[in-house]
Parts: sequence; structure tokens; C-alpha cells
Amino acid sequence: MAFLGLLILCTIFVLSAPRAVTKIWRFAREQGTGALVIRVPLLRDVGWGAALAPVTASFLVLSGTFGITNVGGTGSGNLFNAKSIPGDLFYTTLVLAVMALYTLVRPRPAGYLAAAGLTGIGAWVLYQALVLPRSTYDYEWYGWLRDQLYLPELLLLGTAGLAGGFLLTRRTIVADVRARRYGLAAQVERLSRTRAEAVDSAAAELRRLERDLHDGAQARLVALGINLRTAEKLIDTSPGDAKALVADCREASAKALSELRGLVRGIYPPVLADRGLGDAIKALALDCPVLALTDIQLPGRPPAPVESAVYFAVAEVLNNAAKHAAATAIQIRVAHARGLLRVQVDDDGVGGADPASGTGLAGMERRLGAFDGILAVSSPVGGPTIVVIEVPCALSWPKTSTS
Amino acid sequence: MRVVLAEDFYLLRAGLERLLAAHGFTVIAAVDNAADLLTALLEEKPDIAVVDVRLPPTFTDEGLRAAIEARRQLPGLPVLVLSQYVEQLYARELLADQGGAVGYLLKDRVFNDDQFTDAIRAVAGGGTVMDSEVIAKLMTRRQRDEPVTRLSAREREVLALMAEGRSNSAIAQRLFISDKAVGKHSTNIFAKLNLPPSEDDNRRVLAVLAYLNQ
Repeated sequence: MAFLGLLILCTIFVLSAPRAVTKIWRFAREQGTGALVIRVPLLRDVGWGAALAPVTASFLVLSGTFGITNVGGTGSGNLFNAKSIPGDLFYTTLVLAVMALYTLVRPRPAGYLAAAGLTGIGAWVLYQALVLPRSTYDYEWYGWLRDQLYLPELLLLGTAGLAGGFLLTRRTIVADVRARRYGLAAQVERLSRTRAEAVDSAAAELRRLERDLHDGAQARLVALGINLRTAEKLIDTSPGDAKALVADCREASAKALSELRGLVRGIYPPVLADRGLGDAIKALALDCPVLALTDIQLPGRPPAPVESAVYFAVAEVLNNAAKHAAATAIQIRVAHARGLLRVQVDDDGVGGADPASGTGLAGMERRLGAFDGILAVSSPVGGPTIVVIEVPCALSWPKTSTS
Repeated sequence: MRVVLAEDFYLLRAGLERLLAAHGFTVIAAVDNAADLLTALLEEKPDIAVVDVRLPPTFTDEGLRAAIEARRQLPGLPVLVLSQYVEQLYARELLADQGGAVGYLLKDRVFNDDQFTDAIRAVAGGGTVMDSEVIAKLMTRRQRDEPVTRLSAREREVLALMAEGRSNSAIAQRLFISDKAVGKHSTNIFAKLNLPPSEDDNRRVLAVLAYLNQ
């Protein structure tokens, strides 16, 4: 009867577990907004190792609580004596359920627990089978004989437990230690690559600036000087021509100014220097030809280089949305939480944006990469496009004004 | 007309002083930082303040902040803000109190002294003057909007000039058309944009800006 109850409970658990998993999966998708970066670890990431955790953990806990130490013997703690189980049915179920939940939330530690538990159970059973009887029963013939009756089963169970435990340890603990070591190597590799890219792009940027200044404002100033010198010579003999030249000079200086203004915006936008990232993004939204709404929750200022990289990335994203996606509305959200600056730009355009094909977004991604930042794009054909920028950084609070 | 001038770059400050004096303005104070500017504005209550956005001590947007603060304490104080670059964000902040008597121009506009002094007089008279770059950005932004696309090319030109704070006769001069033609265009514009018609230049500018900025 009690065995039937246990069976029913187990069935209910097995049937409800997939639903629980689906529920948590959906919750993770919603929390992760946009199914781009899902951080909640999932059962399938850890595989069958963690799936075993509830069972082994329950066994460990129950044996600790109710003293199933005497595996091969008689009494309430006997593993093969079903009498002990019905009485503990409630606790068994409780522990199973709790462990199942724990496995879903923290699969990796649960996997470690399962590995350690399985190995431990295997070793304990073998100990019971081979060592303990001799010391406990003092070679009394009936005790020894009775132990021998169970010996094959115990040996099988113990060996299976040990083997499973070793296998599981390899899959979880050993694998993670290795991943950690290789992960560090991979991070070193990634850091040196992003550093090289950052240096390269900075150098390219300087070359571009030099060219622009040389061909633009500098050339105009040279012409200005020549014209002014000519005007100086003409001013007495032919005042009319001199006046026309001076007017030319004025126009040339206005053009030089406007070119310099464009250059300055490209280097470090003044509004970014004045007001910081939040207002600079608001200014970008206002200048965007498409209606762009902003929701900015930024209590302080990120470090200047991060501000700059994020600003240009957002500018590029807005530019793409307006030019290529034919969007009619854009939503920009900026927030900082738990040491992570997060910017999300949604548009209702035609989608199909590929960060790999366009050089603009790829360049921005490299630039953000120098700060361990990421730029993720979800842009199915037909839209909508969602771009998420995340950069780990701390905020600093503006100095209190002295004036 | 009594002018308070705030500009931290000495050459430019001296140049502006000379230019203003040559056009019959009286520069009663020429300051080079935001704190002095605020004091001068509140004490002198000038007919107009000509203010550079970027001033010491932090060289960010102190000039703008000081101007907005002064207008909070003295509502309607005429302020013309000059900057090396224009931002719609700053234009909005200046227009936010809806008191009029506000100007926001690129520093380059100083080169054309007649237009510049016209702008000063317009702002001192309670008008609103926005730089053509601000207007151009607003216009491109509203391109997808139905009513603006209904305007003819000429009407768009008139609208842009109107938003810069120009009177009908100034617009007529600029576009080489008659005052009457400008009047007709502006009536059409107001009808097409569903704005209440107005003869008051400042109310007209504010209506247009509000429409473009909505």
C-alpha cells in the first residue's frame, strides 16, 4: 500500500518535472528580455549528471537522518528492508522535491553533489560488504553466512555506484576544473586579440583625423592666409576687389569651422563631454530622423572611454535603423545594474541586419570588446530588430558643484 | 541697449565687444565665467545677455545652466546663447519655460554681423530665434510626418525661416518675394499644419517649434 503511494508520488513528480522546467525556461526568457542573453543555467547544460542529483542527494540526506548505515543487516535502516521506507515517505518526497528544485536553480553544484554522493554510496556499500561484517560479527558463522547471502548484490551495487561516481566526477568536477583552466587561457587569448584590435583601430582613427585635418581645415586656413595677404596688397589700389576677397575669407573661415565641428563630433561629441552618456543618447535620439523614445536610468557616469564607445555604438545602431531598416519607431533603454551597463535598442523595421556583413557594427563590437563589452543583435527578416550592448563597468558620481 | 556678454576666450570676447559697440549696443559687463555671469545678470538686469555655452570652471555647459537659472529668477530675461555646436537637447531646455525672448545660435553666425545684431534685437524684443541647423534637424525628423509632407517646397522654406524667428518682411527679403506672398504662404502653412493663425512673430515661432518638436 505504502509502496503504491511512493509510486504515485514518483509518477506525479516525473510528470510535473518537465512542466516545471518549461515554466522556468519561459521565466528565464522573459527576464532575459528578447531571448538574447539568457543567464539562468538550464538542466540540459549540465546533462544527466545533475539529473541524478536529487536521487543521490536524497539518499545521502536520508541515510544521514535515519541511519541507513547497516546496509546489509536487518532492522529499520536496512536498504533492502522496505519497511523503513513507508515511514519516511513524507521526508523522502520532501527531500526529493527540494533537491529537484535546487538542481534546477544551481545545476552545477547539484552535479558535484551527485558525483560525490554516488562515489560515496558505492564506497560505503563495498565497505559494508567486504570489511564491516568480519569486524561486526566476529566471524560468527551465522552472521557471516547471512552476509554471504547478500554478497553478490552488495558487490554489484557497490561497484556500480563507484563506477558511476567516477564517471560523474569526470563529467562534472573534472570537466569544470579543466574548463576553468582553458577558460582562462581563452580569456588571455581574447584579451590580447581585443587589445591588438583596439590599438589598430585607434591608429586608423588617428590617420583618418590627420587626413581630414590636412585636406580640410588646414588647407582652408592656408587659402585664407593667401587671400588675406592679397587683400592687404589690394586694399589701397583696388578696394572693391579687396572687399570681395575679404568676404571670400569670411566664407572660407565659416567652412573651416563647420568642418572642424564635424571632426570634433567624430572624436568626442561635445554633448557627451558636457552631460555624459544619458543626455548624449537623448541628444542622439532627438537628432534621429526616426521617432526615438528613450528610457534612461543612469544615476552616475561610466568611465569616459566606455561612455565614448557606447555612444558611438548607439549612434551606429540608430543610423542603421533609420537608413537600412526603414523603421518608424525606435525605443532606447539604458540601465546599470550589478556592475553591468546595459543598452537596448529596439526598432520596428524590416530586420535582417547581419553584424558580420556590415563593417559598422563589427567595428563597434571590436571597440566594445576592448572593455569586455558585447554587442548582440537579434534581427530576423521581417523584423523587429533588437540590439543589446552590455559593458561591465562601475559608475562614478558627479562631483558636487562648487559654483 | 544694455548687453551683458559672457565669453571666456579673450580674443572672441574683445571682438564681440567691438562688434556690439559698432552697432550701437552698450556692453555693461563682459565676463569670462559662469558665476560672474549669474551675478551680473541678476544685478544688472540687462536688456539682453549674450552667453557662450561653454565657460569655466568645468568647460561644459555652465553658460547654458547659468542662463536658465537667471531666467528662473528673472522670468523672460532675454538670453541669446552662442555655441560652437548646436544640440536640439539644449534648444529644448532653453524653450522649456515658454517665456520667449530666447535665442540659440552657432558662433559662426557672428560672422554675419547684420543678421547677428538682428537676432539680438529680436530676442531683446521678446522673440525666439533658433539656429537654422536646429531647424534643419527638426525638419528632417518630421519628414515622415503627414502634414509636413503636404507643404510645398516654397512653404517649407518659409516655415524654416519662420522657425528661425524671422518676420514676414525679413522672409520676403531673403526669398526675393513680396510681403504679401509670404503672408499667403504662412496662412497656407498654418492651415496645413492645423496651427492657430497668429500675427505675433514670437507666438508664431513658438507654435512652429512646438509643432516640429512634438
